[in-house]
Amino acid sequence: MKILEIHSLDKINEVAEVFLKSFREPCIFAFYGSMGVGKTTFIQAVCKVLGVVDPVSSPTFSIVNEYSCGTDCKVYHFDFYRINSITEVFDFGYEEYFSENAYIFIEWPELIEDLLPPETVKLSITLKDEGLRQISFE
Amino acid sequence: MIILGIESSCDDTSAAVVKDGRVLSNAMASQSVHEKYGGVVPELASRAHQQNIIPVVDDALKSAGISSAELDAIAFTRGPGLMGSLLVGTSFAKGLALSLDIPLIEVNHLQAHILSHFIIKEEKESTLPGLPFLCLLVSGGHTQLVVVEDYLDMKIIGQTIDDAAGEAFDKCAKVMGLSYPGGPLIDKLAVKGNPDAFAFSKPKLSGFDYSFSGLKTSFLYFVRDQLKMNDQFIELRKADLAASLQKTIITILMDKLIKASEKTGITEIGIGGGVAANSGLRNALRQEESKRNWNVYLPEFRYTTDNAAMIAITGYYKYLKKNFTNHSVIPDARMKF
Repeated sequence: MKILEIHSLDKINEVAEVFLKSFREPCIFAFYGSMGVGKTTFIQAVCKVLGVVDPVSSPTFSIVNEYSCGTDCKVYHFDFYRINSITEVFDFGYEEYFSENAYIFIEWPELIEDLLPPETVKLSITLKDEGLRQISFE
Repeated sequence: MIILGIESSCDDTSAAVVKDGRVLSNAMASQSVHEKYGGVVPELASRAHQQNIIPVVDDALKSAGISSAELDAIAFTRGPGLMGSLLVGTSFAKGLALSLDIPLIEVNHLQAHILSHFIIKEEKESTLPGLPFLCLLVSGGHTQLVVVEDYLDMKIIGQTIDDAAGEAFDKCAKVMGLSYPGGPLIDKLAVKGNPDAFAFSKPKLSGFDYSFSGLKTSFLYFVRDQLKMNDQFIELRKADLAASLQKTIITILMDKLIKASEKTGITEIGIGGGVAANSGLRNALRQEESKRNWNVYLPEFRYTTDNAAMIAITGYYKYLKKNFTNHSVIPDARMKF
């Protein structure tokens, strides 16, 4: 188990850089954590390190946002918050996204737990004392 | 000139017929469409839009009293939206345009929301916005300030850097235990509450960009702290919480809109998107209208949600400019203006 700590917002880019160094190639990342803990904010920082120049915004409504991180580098940013049933996930064709060689960041993965590929990296973000965020992953 | 519009960017499949800028029909896929066909069409039932698109187009043509042979062009949503959903509408539009041998017209979903203000209505007193026109587009997925120089010449001058305004409504509603999407419920509760009961943090961004992520967090922590002192807090102060939250979101939206109007000198002002149905926002615009000599345009409720009439009207204005699309077109999930 690896643990990273973010002490304040201005340190988030450094932590995002350290985080990405743990992975050599694009992976599927599932982010667990309660509302307002900073899932989108951390994904924004990781995307910035990857070289995404498009604005990274919350995909709660759109379900998935797609960003380019350079030639042959793609990011899919998912949010399953407003999904009501697993059939909706089948309906929009999640398999095609998951089988691409892209960075896949998933918010609210609890709702599609059974569909996550076995190689998915599961991370949890927790809020410790005021301001301190802890990110733990295998 | 008769245009068929097809919209399939997100949850709903819809089709509409526009004749010379007037809406003849605006059909939305729903159970009632399925019912006409004796339930869900099983052969096509792999994805929601695939099930819906043929019945909904058929419905739009029938209620307009138009046969497909009378169509002059097919307009469709190319993006932004969900790739799988967009593919269904795009492929269908291409196939239909090819078989009827008429032009194909790609439409940007967000531009279409704005151009729904330029649907010509039957009522005598109705007037279309003058140009340039300043439009605040607010929905669950978008918050943008757009300057419209001409029907097809638009520029985004500000947008959200994190959450959309509609998302702030919905997520704070969830904190209060309301069901998703809770925006309309907040609006209803707010009427009975005191908008000055609580103060929540507002972003300090320069320029015309918006941010709603901080408000969501501030609301969440405030409620959490209050619940520690009194576990009945939400129940007791529901209306005040809703009214204060709504006031904060509207103030954030209006501050930038006013600033943008002052900076650009534009006084033809409109709103669009799902949050444009919010009564508080509509009232705030009417108040500023009289105070600032604006001409304010509020969309009809049926055009605030995703609909194909706005796709067809955009197709109409593009047709006038002979702005047609090649059949090699593919959907663009992150389509820009």
